[in-house]
Amino acid sequence: MKDFIGLTRRNLLVFYKDIFAIFFSLLTSIIVFALYLLFLKGTFTDALTGTMNGLENIVDGKHIDMFVNGILLSGILGSATITVPYTCLQTIVKDRESGVDSDILSTPIKRWKIILSYFTASGISAFFMTSLIMTIGLIILNIMGDMHMPAISIASCYLTILLGSLSSTALFMVIMLLIRSSSTSSALFGILSAASGFVIGAYIPLSRFSDSVMSFCNLFPASHITSMLRNDLLKGVTENIDSDIKGLDNGAFISSIREVFSFNAKSFGTTFTGAGSTLYILTIALVCIVFMTIVYNKTYKRR
Amino acid sequence: MKIIEVKDLTKKYKEQTAVDSISFDVEEGELFAFLGENGAGKSTTINMLTTILQKTSGTAFVAGYELGKEDDGIRKVNGIVFQNSVLDKGLSVKDNLISRGSYYGLSKKEIQNRLEPFAESFEMREIWNRRYDKLSGGQRRRVDIMRALINQPKILFLDEPTTGLDPTSRKLVWDYINYLRKEQKMTIFLTTHYMEETRDADNVVILDKGHIVSQGTPAELKSSYAHSRLIWYTPENAEAETLISTISNVFSYDADHYNIQTDRILTDFIYEHKEYIRDYEYIKGTMDDVFLNLTGKELA
Repeated sequence: MKDFIGLTRRNLLVFYKDIFAIFFSLLTSIIVFALYLLFLKGTFTDALTGTMNGLENIVDGKHIDMFVNGILLSGILGSATITVPYTCLQTIVKDRESGVDSDILSTPIKRWKIILSYFTASGISAFFMTSLIMTIGLIILNIMGDMHMPAISIASCYLTILLGSLSSTALFMVIMLLIRSSSTSSALFGILSAASGFVIGAYIPLSRFSDSVMSFCNLFPASHITSMLRNDLLKGVTENIDSDIKGLDNGAFISSIREVFSFNAKSFGTTFTGAGSTLYILTIALVCIVFMTIVYNKTYKRR
Repeated sequence: MKIIEVKDLTKKYKEQTAVDSISFDVEEGELFAFLGENGAGKSTTINMLTTILQKTSGTAFVAGYELGKEDDGIRKVNGIVFQNSVLDKGLSVKDNLISRGSYYGLSKKEIQNRLEPFAESFEMREIWNRRYDKLSGGQRRRVDIMRALINQPKILFLDEPTTGLDPTSRKLVWDYINYLRKEQKMTIFLTTHYMEETRDADNVVILDKGHIVSQGTPAELKSSYAHSRLIWYTPENAEAETLISTISNVFSYDADHYNIQTDRILTDFIYEHKEYIRDYEYIKGTMDDVFLNLTGKELA
């Protein structure tokens, strides 16, 4: 066990001692936040008020503010569950390129432990970093106003982040298998960080895209994670908005904003509930874990 | 007692054969040198013997463990200093060594206890908390050697350990190697393309394009494949050449001297003609000559 813990600790140290790696792992989240300050808040607010149909004077403006703030936070968290594990897993490619993996392979540590240690370190990093962002985000939001989040919703958010961190790590482990050089992994990271904000609906709600684009985006576990986080983060706020309306619209407004901001992932005609998304993510993660276990083992033995 | 036994070891990559059916033995406690130019197959052989690469065919036993069947046993008794440094550049010396030691199942305390005896002689204390990428080339090499010693190996593999080092650092590294060999009785398996580094080896294998072209002690190799030379500084003249022809038929005149190839012991000859041969040098055959004669190539 000391060998596995030691290698996992080393993988974590390599990531956390690299300030640039940490910065770039959070770059998409930073961009989402910057764009929010520049214009996204207005876009989200417009999208929200566009569905109000005369309820503007009934719904408390603070609730609208907190709603769009919550949408922002879900986008930041969703993108972090993509970029943090990817950056952390780049260690695999760097180790292969620099020959560090030869040093590891020359020791008695079992091959499956090597693979598992990369997975564990990345999963821990993604969970820790994203949880940290969420904790700070929630503190800031609660200073700005009331998110009306019960403890169970907060706990659920952390569990969702854990699920997102592990599923993204499993998916990226497979991708890292195919990458041979740091330049390729960096190029792919550039594409990933640019595209991830769109894929999870952090910049534009996915409902604004065509059905086929939305379906494609919702193939990615991170899109489901973002939807699940929206449900947890905004449950209290949406309930408060509904109380403001006092049943005048029979819940039509809340239904429409849940639709506009993709509270439920939709893909190729299937609408996922929270449980459905969880099952989908777990299935993808399981397939990736089985795939990487077989292929990584063979890769190490075939050299 | 043989600590490494290799028979018909081969490594193929698709069409290319990197190591072609090589056989050799290494005795326990000896300094064994693999000599060859880049691409000769030295590193590939080391990588196979340290289980990093899978062999294509052949058999090998390392410290009694069979390669390919008892690899975990081999990994426990091997220490390797790689050609290029493979420690984490962004981590401190301490973090690097503690993480590497843990791969052998050692605790932090056990690792520190194992490194303690070397701390002074390797001048480790002052660099213990420094980042690896902030160290000089010589300091890095010392840390690389320390890393290779963490598991208290029976065999230390050194893959071109002094390449790229300045003369002072090279000497330091060799002092450590000699200390390990003489004081710790460790078997040293060295690959190099520096001829002078094979001078003190107990056995030398010369590798060319994946094949062993010759093996033996440096003395045996030199007596078989190298010639000594007498350099006689004198103006070119017929009388001198008549005298030279009594000891060798292979000679030339270069600039201001005769270059005479001979394997004879010339003490009596020089003494006999001491009035005539006043300015001279006697150069013993070198490993460079051995390599040149065997492969037709010169090493750096």
